[in-house]
Amino acid sequence: MSRSPEEDSLKLFPSAHELPDRVKSFLNDGEEVVAVAVTDLVGGDYGEEYVVLTNDRILVVNEKLAEEVPLSKVTAASIRGYINTCVFSVDTDEGSRSLAVFTRGRLAAFDKLVTIINNLVIGKIPYNLLKEQLLSKVQNDQARKSTRTVMVKLLGLLKPISLLLVATIAVAVAIRVVGLVPPYLMKVLVDEVLTKARADYLPYVIGALLAVNLANTALNTANAYLNTKLNVAVTNTLRGRVYRKLHELSLTHYDMFGSGGLWSRIIDDTNRVQWFLTQAFIPLFINAAMIVFVGATLVTMNAWLTLIVLMPIPVSVVGNIIYRKTASRYYHRLWRKWSRIVSVISDTINAAILVKSYGKEPEFERKFEESQSEFERAQMDVFKFEQQIWPAVGLAFTASSLLVWWFGGNEVLKGKMSLGTIMAFTSYMWMFYSPVFGLIDNVRNLQLLVVAASRLFEILDIEPDVRDAPDAIEVELKGAVECLNVWFTYDGIHYALKGVNLKIAPGERVGLVGPSGSGKTTLAKLLIHLYDPQVGELRYDGIDVKKIKLSSLKRQVAVVLQNPVLLDATIADNIALGKEDARPEEIIAAAKAARVHELVMKLPEAYDTEVGMQGSRLSGGERARVALAAALLKDPKILILDEPTAALDALTEDEVTEELERLTRGRTTIIIAHRLSTLRFTSRIIVMENGRIVEEGTHEELLKRDGLYKRLWEAQLKGLTRMSGMEAESGVSEYVAQLQHA
Amino acid sequence: MSLSFSTLKVLDAARVKVIEARFDELTLEIDGTVYKGVRPRRPFPFSYPEIVIFYSDKEEIGMLRDYRELDDRSRELLESVLKVVYFMPKVRKVLSIRSVEGKYEWRVVTDKGEVTFQSWGRCVRVLRDGRLLIRDIYNRAYIVEEPEKLDSRSRLYLSMMI
Repeated sequence: MSRSPEEDSLKLFPSAHELPDRVKSFLNDGEEVVAVAVTDLVGGDYGEEYVVLTNDRILVVNEKLAEEVPLSKVTAASIRGYINTCVFSVDTDEGSRSLAVFTRGRLAAFDKLVTIINNLVIGKIPYNLLKEQLLSKVQNDQARKSTRTVMVKLLGLLKPISLLLVATIAVAVAIRVVGLVPPYLMKVLVDEVLTKARADYLPYVIGALLAVNLANTALNTANAYLNTKLNVAVTNTLRGRVYRKLHELSLTHYDMFGSGGLWSRIIDDTNRVQWFLTQAFIPLFINAAMIVFVGATLVTMNAWLTLIVLMPIPVSVVGNIIYRKTASRYYHRLWRKWSRIVSVISDTINAAILVKSYGKEPEFERKFEESQSEFERAQMDVFKFEQQIWPAVGLAFTASSLLVWWFGGNEVLKGKMSLGTIMAFTSYMWMFYSPVFGLIDNVRNLQLLVVAASRLFEILDIEPDVRDAPDAIEVELKGAVECLNVWFTYDGIHYALKGVNLKIAPGERVGLVGPSGSGKTTLAKLLIHLYDPQVGELRYDGIDVKKIKLSSLKRQVAVVLQNPVLLDATIADNIALGKEDARPEEIIAAAKAARVHELVMKLPEAYDTEVGMQGSRLSGGERARVALAAALLKDPKILILDEPTAALDALTEDEVTEELERLTRGRTTIIIAHRLSTLRFTSRIIVMENGRIVEEGTHEELLKRDGLYKRLWEAQLKGLTRMSGMEAESGVSEYVAQLQHA
Repeated sequence: MSLSFSTLKVLDAARVKVIEARFDELTLEIDGTVYKGVRPRRPFPFSYPEIVIFYSDKEEIGMLRDYRELDDRSRELLESVLKVVYFMPKVRKVLSIRSVEGKYEWRVVTDKGEVTFQSWGRCVRVLRDGRLLIRDIYNRAYIVEEPEKLDSRSRLYLSMMI
């Protein structure tokens, strides 16, 4: 069954000929098709349906018009994901309505469709604006796909080192050409000098041989030098480009590729491109040149014998292709069996406590034995497989070389060919084979080069989404923060924020509470413009955050995220992140404010202590406080604290909270907290649930309201009172009184 | 102390009626109460596919120990939804596996027809009961129910990927 490829399963503003006829027949006059997504399932079976978004309706078309929903009735579109399938559905006033089902292969296409629909129905983005954006995207994509192939783009990247590249190829070809001379000189030696006893020629021939050897040595040295230089230059050029690109990427892309994915692209893919470039691209020229030179020499020496030389090539090419196809599977299996052994060992070591406490040693020993014998079997299979191919190919070569000697020998005996010629001919014959096989290898590696390079271009071609708009400005912030109908999704499916509206006055201190996953941290990340919302606007002092220069924003807004990560540097360096050329006193003052100074002073190297990779040598609470110190040192207009005290013990928490109260006076402050006691000095508390703001008010107001906040508050008190054996009721009032007097 | 099972809301199949099914959603009637927009989920999709838990708006309605005990009409409707939610082609035959650009391209015959898909190198998982689960690059799963009963060519192909 043929299905349209996954990449082409979404068409934006399709032209009339791209639109299937049956879809056309259901369109009204003047109705414009925005997008067509093609499913690969109908019900629980493979099949195709078209989900059509027009400026007016959503249609599902198979043989007939299966579904029809006017856009005016749609309040949101979404996708529900299962093991293999996804269901596309829309919310209407009459409830949710599922419209189509497809496999995960089409997820990307439907994801875009859902975002477009939500932009229209939730974001209320004007239709013409959306159309303009989508059309410009369509044009960009087309330009990117059609005009520049990966190889051309790669060579474009390597332009700065093109001279080096050409020189390396030229020297390498020269070595091979010089290598062709000795067999010819041998022929002269045998035929002209030795057979004809011309002693006067001998010094010239020997001299020529010496000169060729000297030239060879010189060229080889040059070649080694150029190769080394080229390798380093290629990797540095590529890695530099990708590394610089990293900083342009927004966190959305980091999430998309995962840190491991980005890591491997910078380190592994640049190496791979370099390797294939030197192992495939350059040898391609060398081998092609060799085939031409040696081939021409052979033909001029004896055209008939050359045909015999060519005989084993088809056999070995076929053998090679079979080998390539199958070998990768055998070797891959060997590698998988090996990694199974490694995984059993690493499980045993890493989960030693589990293995021992559940008494699973016998099971693990059995697993280990099994994986060992599987590995052994796989290795023997590889051996058997290799034995099937190469002896046969080897035989073909032996046969042809014997035939050359047989026919060539007869020619010499008949006096039609000189002894020197047959000797030179057989030397050249072997010189001919290796570039032929080399070429097969090169072509294959060239494909891998394109794969590795296109992985690099996946990163390099990304248009940075969060970056300064051309008209972005420097702003001195007063501290007003505003969210206008903000919708945001990390994956295009689940909205972490669903229409958040929030207004904070300059200098106001607000608390943000809610259950885990309610969108608090996401909101904090959006506020410092790590991401762009899909819908809605964030404003500082009434200015859209996209219009404020990122550098300007980052200077005035500080954020301490949950489980902060530190740089692999000293404590002082990490605190000084908040302010360039911070004076030592400032660092200490900031650390004192964050209640980390005493701790630091207990360390032998104090502020000059290296914190290790990602701050691994400090505890969670220490890292949190170092990050807090950095934020405080920045002296920001706006301070966003995500669970600043989560990793602290109760006593330290109390101290830090008190200190925070003092430090945040006159600063716009947003504190996200699970422990509600941290919020005692805030003037307003905002309660979030499921991506929405559900309640807002002072602590007392919210307690009276009998909503989510009250439930959260009571749940925390219950935990406390149960522990101390207090009665729940008296406990509440006592604790509240305590807090209010604090 | 033994575990308390009181948190498991086990439903009596005789009292559960499925009234309507649409894609991944059901309308249920239990003891006269009608539930709309109910989503059935299998807690153990591979090891105990007969167990089904019903959800409406994240709220758990209850669990069926074996949905096959439902009356015929209800069972058919539920199965039509399970077919969508747990869509998983069963591989009957492997026609070919070739490597393309660092991936593997599989051509297989399944109970849903012939399918071509691409996978990465490490893509076959052996389930506890010996069945095989193949994952493609989109993380779609294909199952091989009784690998030992496939034709020898298919088994050879599969053995190379395990």
